Amino acid sequence: MIGDRRFAADADAHRRDQPRYCPACATALDLASEFWEGDERRFYCWCASCEWTGEVTTTGATALGHEPEH
Amino acid sequence: MLTAEQNDELTAVEAGTRMGEVLRRYWYPVAFARELAEFPVKRVELLGEFFALWRSPSGRYGIIPEPCPHRKASMAYGVVEEDGLRCPYHGWRFDTDGVCTDQPAEKDNTNFQNRVRATAGKVEELGGLVWAYVGPDPAPLLPRFDVYVMDGFRDIGWADLPCNYVQIMENAVDPHHVEYLHGRYFEFIGAHEGFTAPASFGKQHQRIGFDAFEYGIIKRRILAGASEENDDWKVGHPLVFPYNMRVGGGGIHQMQIRVPINRTTTRFMLYTVHAPEGYEPLEQPAVPDYEIPVFDERGRHVVNYVEGQDIMAWCTQGPITDRTTEHLGRSDIGVAMLRKMFKQQMAAVENGEDPLGTVREPHERIDLPCEKDKFHAGGAQFALDFCDMGSTRFSPMLDTIRKVHLSAADRVVKDKAAGRPSFTPEGGIGTATLTPGTSAQVDSE
Ligand code: FES
Ligand SMILES: [Fe+2]
Ligand SMILES: [Zn+2]
Repeated sequence: MIGDRRFAADADAHRRDQPRYCPACATALDLASEFWEGDERRFYCWCASCEWTGEVTTTGATALGHEPEH
Repeated sequence: MLTAEQNDELTAVEAGTRMGEVLRRYWYPVAFARELAEFPVKRVELLGEFFALWRSPSGRYGIIPEPCPHRKASMAYGVVEEDGLRCPYHGWRFDTDGVCTDQPAEKDNTNFQNRVRATAGKVEELGGLVWAYVGPDPAPLLPRFDVYVMDGFRDIGWADLPCNYVQIMENAVDPHHVEYLHGRYFEFIGAHEGFTAPASFGKQHQRIGFDAFEYGIIKRRILAGASEENDDWKVGHPLVFPYNMRVGGGGIHQMQIRVPINRTTTRFMLYTVHAPEGYEPLEQPAVPDYEIPVFDERGRHVVNYVEGQDIMAWCTQGPITDRTTEHLGRSDIGVAMLRKMFKQQMAAVENGEDPLGTVREPHERIDLPCEKDKFHAGGAQFALDFCDMGSTRFSPMLDTIRKVHLSAADRVVKDKAAGRPSFTPEGGIGTATLTPGTSAQVDSE
C-alpha cells in the first residue's frame, strides 16, 4: 500500500514513539492507537494478557504543574 | 530498444519516480469549466493520484488530495462553501491553501489544525478548461498558448484511452505514420465501407526533420510534390513538451492534449479553434465538449476517422508498449530524440533546475510555430476534410463549424471584390522560427 505521502513524518513519529510494552505485566502491548488532543499526542493502549487499559502521553523534557484558579 | 528498467523509468507518472517528478512541474487541464458550473466539486485523477477539485459560489477554485486528513473519507464528496471545502464525514473544512479552518467536533486548537494541513495545488481557468498544478512551489505560470486565447469558434473532443501517454507522445514525432495510417489504411477502410479517404493524407514523405526548441520539438516533413519552401518543412509544427502537440492548417488551430491520468490511462483532448480567414465572430458562452468513439459495440476500434486510427495504433501497442522488443528504424529518429529529451529533463529536475518549457515570465499569450498550408492541400479543402474525416464529425457543433468555414470563404470572396482585407484571427506563427534541420533529419528518397 502506498501511504498518504503528505503525512509520512507523522507516520514515522508514530512508529518511533508508540509504547511497546504493557506497564503492568511487561508483555507486548496489543494496541497503541494514537490520537491528538490540543498540543498533545496520546496513545490509547491495551494489553490483552492482563487487560490493562490506559492513555500514555509523550511530554518530552517538560513537566507541567497545574495552575490554581486566580 | 530499451531495457525493461529504462522503459519503466520513461513511462512512470507516480510521485517519487524520476519521470513523475518531471511531470509534476507542469499545469494540466483537469476539468471542463462547464462541469464545475453544473456541479461544484469533482473527483480528479492526475498522475496516478486522486484529488478533489472545487469551485466556490464566487468562482474561486481549489484542489486538494482526495483523502481527508482526518480519517480519509473522500473530499470529492465534500460540501462546497464560500470559505472552502468541507469533508462530508465529520465536517473538517479546508481552504484553497489547504489550511484546515474548522474541526467541528474538536476543542478549538490551532495546533491540531496546523498539523492536518491538506497540501493544496493551484487552479486557474483558461479557454474553457480548468487547469491545475500539483507540483512543488514556486509554481510556474500557466502558459497561455495561442489556441486558448485566440479568436475563433471552439469545441473539444475527448476520450479516456487505456494506454500510457508516452506512446501517444512518440506518435507526435512520427511523421511517416500519416502516409500509412491516415493514407493507405484509411483508403483500405474506405474501400470496404464505401467512402473516399482524403487524398492529401496519403502523400509520400521524402524527408523528415526535427528541431529541439524552447517548448519541445518542431517536426517537419517534405511530401511528394513539395519542397523546402512549403510550410510543412519551413514552419512545421511542434510537440509541446511533455504532453501536447500543436497542429493546424486551413484556418484550424488545435492543441492535441494527452493528460497522464495514471500510468495506463490517458485523457486525450482535441482542443480545436476554427479561425479561418474571413471569420465572422460568433458568441460562445461556454466551450462545448463531446466524447469521441474509441470502440464500437463489438469492442473493436472505430477506425473510420483520423483520430480513431491514431487511437487504434496507440492502444494496440499495449497499456505500456513493450520497448524491450521493439525494432526502431532510421525513420524513428524523432522517437529516439524525444526519449533523450525526457531523460534530459529528468536530470534537470534532479539538479534543481526548471524543466523544458517552464514559464515564469508574465505574458499575454504564447504563439507556437504551426504551418498554415498543411500537406499543401489548400486551406479550405483541408478544413472540409478535417470536418468530415476527423473527430469533428462527432461534434454537436459540426453544422455550425461547417458554416463557419463556408461563410468565411464567402466573406473572403466578397472582401476581395470590394478590395478590403478580410479579418483573420491571429494564432500560430506561420513563418519559420528556426533554421530547419539542425537536430535530426532523415531522407527517404
Ligand atoms: S474524515 Fe473528513 S472530517 Fe472526518
Ligand atoms: Fe496520426
Ligand atoms: Zn499487561
